[in-house]
Amino acid sequence: MPDEADNGYDIVIDVDLSKRTSELADRNLELLDEHGVRAIDVLGSVGSGKTTLINGLIDQLKPRMSIAVIAGDITTRIDAERIEVQGVPVVQIQTGGACHLDGEIVRRGMQRLDLDAIDLLIVENVGNLICPAAFPIGAHKRLLVLSVTEGPYMAVKHPIMVRQADVAVINKIDLAEAMRVDVDRLMADVRQVNPEIEVVTTVARDGEGIADVVAALGL
Amino acid sequence: MRATARESRTWWRPWGCESMHDVTAARQIARTVLQAAEQQGAGRVEKVRIVLGAMQMIDPEQLEFWLEQILRGSAGEGAEIEIRRNPLTVRCRACGWEGELEVPDDPIYHLMPWIPECPACRAEELQVLGGDELTVESIRVREAEGADEDA
Repeated sequence: MPDEADNGYDIVIDVDLSKRTSELADRNLELLDEHGVRAIDVLGSVGSGKTTLINGLIDQLKPRMSIAVIAGDITTRIDAERIEVQGVPVVQIQTGGACHLDGEIVRRGMQRLDLDAIDLLIVENVGNLICPAAFPIGAHKRLLVLSVTEGPYMAVKHPIMVRQADVAVINKIDLAEAMRVDVDRLMADVRQVNPEIEVVTTVARDGEGIADVVAALGL
Repeated sequence: MRATARESRTWWRPWGCESMHDVTAARQIARTVLQAAEQQGAGRVEKVRIVLGAMQMIDPEQLEFWLEQILRGSAGEGAEIEIRRNPLTVRCRACGWEGELEVPDDPIYHLMPWIPECPACRAEELQVLGGDELTVESIRVREAEGADEDA
């Protein structure tokens, strides 16, 4: 045996970690399908209104389906506490510095839920539109939340994310005039980057447009 | 005060996300390495061999740094980290051209997709043959202490 003298030897591993990201997401999707759970990945910047929109969706959908939420945040529990008020199970994931959720983190969150008892899983991703684009978590639909308070360039500045989303919500349109943001222009930008995407406008805080989001998500 | 080119490039990286991805990658590598060593009943890990594809927007020096930090206090502390860069190799689905492509070192591609084209026929339907991987190839380990004494 070579190298016997120093008791050293090689272990071949040959694992490509770059493939694991999508493999984990695919496995999550399989697990969700086995349990008949639909999953929505909600993406948007901090302050775009993800949590408020999720609360609006829960309000509308709660009478006809059972819902659970996985809320990702870098350090706080604020989002989970805001959603728990609704009486639906919430798993808070503090990513501890990571700027995105990934398939593995979401899988661990799913293990803390009774998947047989729920119809819809809403995953609130970390508030950032760049990194989550590279990390599919295994959701049936990706819901992108942009708000007019973030300025007029959110769509053109995040083309990768916009291209990956199925539905885009333009939130806080009641503030468009004060922000001097042209909502039609923003919608056109979104559609130019992703011609397949469905675009919906909302004032999530007041429940305006939530029914349109539900319809666009096919729920 | 003017920023140097190097500083401004770092500043351009969106919110330091790249370095966070380096940490994520380093954590996954560390976990893979330590699991394999434990499963084989090995003692110390002396060397970790990694293949880093050119398409991975990861800086090898940062990756090495984070991996060393994460392995501290484990069986992999002090292991030599060997990172081999793999160039992007593609095959054109349109004309069949095969070869290496230079990946542009421009931070804008953290925000925009880079869509390479075939140098022969300009088609954009390229199949990646290699260069998108982040592979833990193998590790070199020492036998565990107990095994040492038996020998």
